[in-house]
Amino acid sequence: MSPDLAGLFSYFMIFIILLFICGAYCIAATFNMVRAMIGLELLIKAATLLIILAGYLCGRSALAQAIVITLIVIEIVVMVVAGGIILWAFRHNESIDPRKLSNLKG
Amino acid sequence: MTSLFIFAPFFLLVIINFPLGFLKGRCAFCLAASLLLAQVLLAAFHPWLFWSAYPDCLRQFFGFPLAVDNLALIMLFVIGIVALVSLLTAQDTLAGEKQKFNFINLLLVALIGMNATVLVTDIFSLYVFIEVTAMASFILIALEKGKFAIEGAFKYLMLSAIASVFMLTSVAFLLLTAGDISFAAVHHVLTNVPGSFFLKLAVGLFLCGLLIKSGVVPFHGWLPDAYSAAPSCVSVLLAGTVTKISGVYILLRLFSSVFTLTPALQNVLLFAGAISIVFAALAALTQDDFKRMLAYSSISQVGYIILALGCGTPLAFVGAVFHFFNHAIFKTLLFVNAASLEKRFGTTDINQLEGLGEKCPVTSVTSLVAMLSTAGIPPLSGFWSKLIIVMALFSKGRFIYAGTALIASIITLAYFLSLERRIFFNKGKPAPAAGGTATQISRGLNPAKNFSGIACAEILLAVFTIAGGLGYAFMLNTWFLPLKAIWH
Repeated sequence: MSPDLAGLFSYFMIFIILLFICGAYCIAATFNMVRAMIGLELLIKAATLLIILAGYLCGRSALAQAIVITLIVIEIVVMVVAGGIILWAFRHNESIDPRKLSNLKG
Repeated sequence: MTSLFIFAPFFLLVIINFPLGFLKGRCAFCLAASLLLAQVLLAAFHPWLFWSAYPDCLRQFFGFPLAVDNLALIMLFVIGIVALVSLLTAQDTLAGEKQKFNFINLLLVALIGMNATVLVTDIFSLYVFIEVTAMASFILIALEKGKFAIEGAFKYLMLSAIASVFMLTSVAFLLLTAGDISFAAVHHVLTNVPGSFFLKLAVGLFLCGLLIKSGVVPFHGWLPDAYSAAPSCVSVLLAGTVTKISGVYILLRLFSSVFTLTPALQNVLLFAGAISIVFAALAALTQDDFKRMLAYSSISQVGYIILALGCGTPLAFVGAVFHFFNHAIFKTLLFVNAASLEKRFGTTDINQLEGLGEKCPVTSVTSLVAMLSTAGIPPLSGFWSKLIIVMALFSKGRFIYAGTALIASIITLAYFLSLERRIFFNKGKPAPAAGGTATQISRGLNPAKNFSGIACAEILLAVFTIAGGLGYAFMLNTWFLPLKAIWH
């Protein structure tokens, strides 16, 4: 690997790590279910980028491509289901604050 | 013809959704029930010829190979039984044809996911099918769109999505270090290059994801909520298979034949198992809701499986799978009992159900069988699997963990006996203080309908529990002891 390519990868890696931190912070700090979903999306995006990087580094770009396309489909389905559940939570509670979801305890 | 386990539910899903009116109601139920029955029979009487005699022409539609071994057969059997029972329960408990039809569709999606999870041989496909199963179960929990159900579904979705991020990151690291994601390649790299930092990180992350998915104690927060808020027929499915297949089974599979079990990992698994057993059993003592108590009991029993896996010997592995099997049967039976009580009296609150159990004789007898089996009373099946686990722990010199497992068994007996006494043994009228609630409940009483599906399911599972206990030697020799070959 040539030096400038290695530099490029370190930028790539730093970007992935930043995305992970952003996503984790977003989930931890917010009291809004939609924002929590956005944070989750960021985390999955970071993992997707990591898979692309791993596939490129070990010379299996085709495999990584197949994985990433499958992953995008799955992720969209997760987000749609999550959106439906949040919509119903809003209809019940008139709010998308997860702290209102505290009826089940014990 | 292994791929039929994935294709048959898929084709059935397509068929029952043709826009023909007569397929929607009774017909969809009959087709789904016969499919599940066929799966149970195929897995139980596995003529090996069937798997190899015909070339698997459907398999080329997948980009990944499938494999069936003894462990997979046991899992397919468990999935078939529990899904069948859940389907029977749904027929009696869900209101309205549309709701039942939706349930059958989602059950088939979950079935595709679980069957494929059991059969796949690479880590990414494993992730895909865990996600398919999880997706169906989120919608199943929120099926009736009630306030509590939505809350349970949201908690499950959040935790499960975080677990999948862990697993995906682990897949990326495994791809980076092994260059491939099939079980064989990963196992090869793990045995040859054991010291690599990225590999350790990958195994650790995957373990975290699986522990969240299986609801072991530090990560158990979502599990009682999801189980108790879901409709009864869905809690049957969740407790019996969904969380067990997408968490515990994968732990068993990966740590038996893919990841190597280092001493550090053994200690983590042993500790997590022991903590789950004790904490969840103590938490179950204080519950006032039947389904919530069963959920905590489920966490506690999963602890036994994790503990046995952490022991790291072939015998302990056999014990873990045996306990997995028994737990699926008796915990499903208990959740069906809860469904029966909920249908009849409209509640699962133990205080309101007090003394009402004698009105349903089948439920009281079968719940007694299941509870004694859970607590590990000798002639029943739960005793033999716990015995194997404790024996394996003793022979490895893990005396403290073996002692913990034994003592927690007594706590299990304590909370279940208190439950039995309050609901089923409390003959005669409820206490005067509860008089108001008793009349409320008797208004909700539903004697006109006969719950034939639920009663059939209860009797079937009770027979399995008793037969498993009496014929344990046969089951061990034919099904479980050959599993020793899978262990590394």
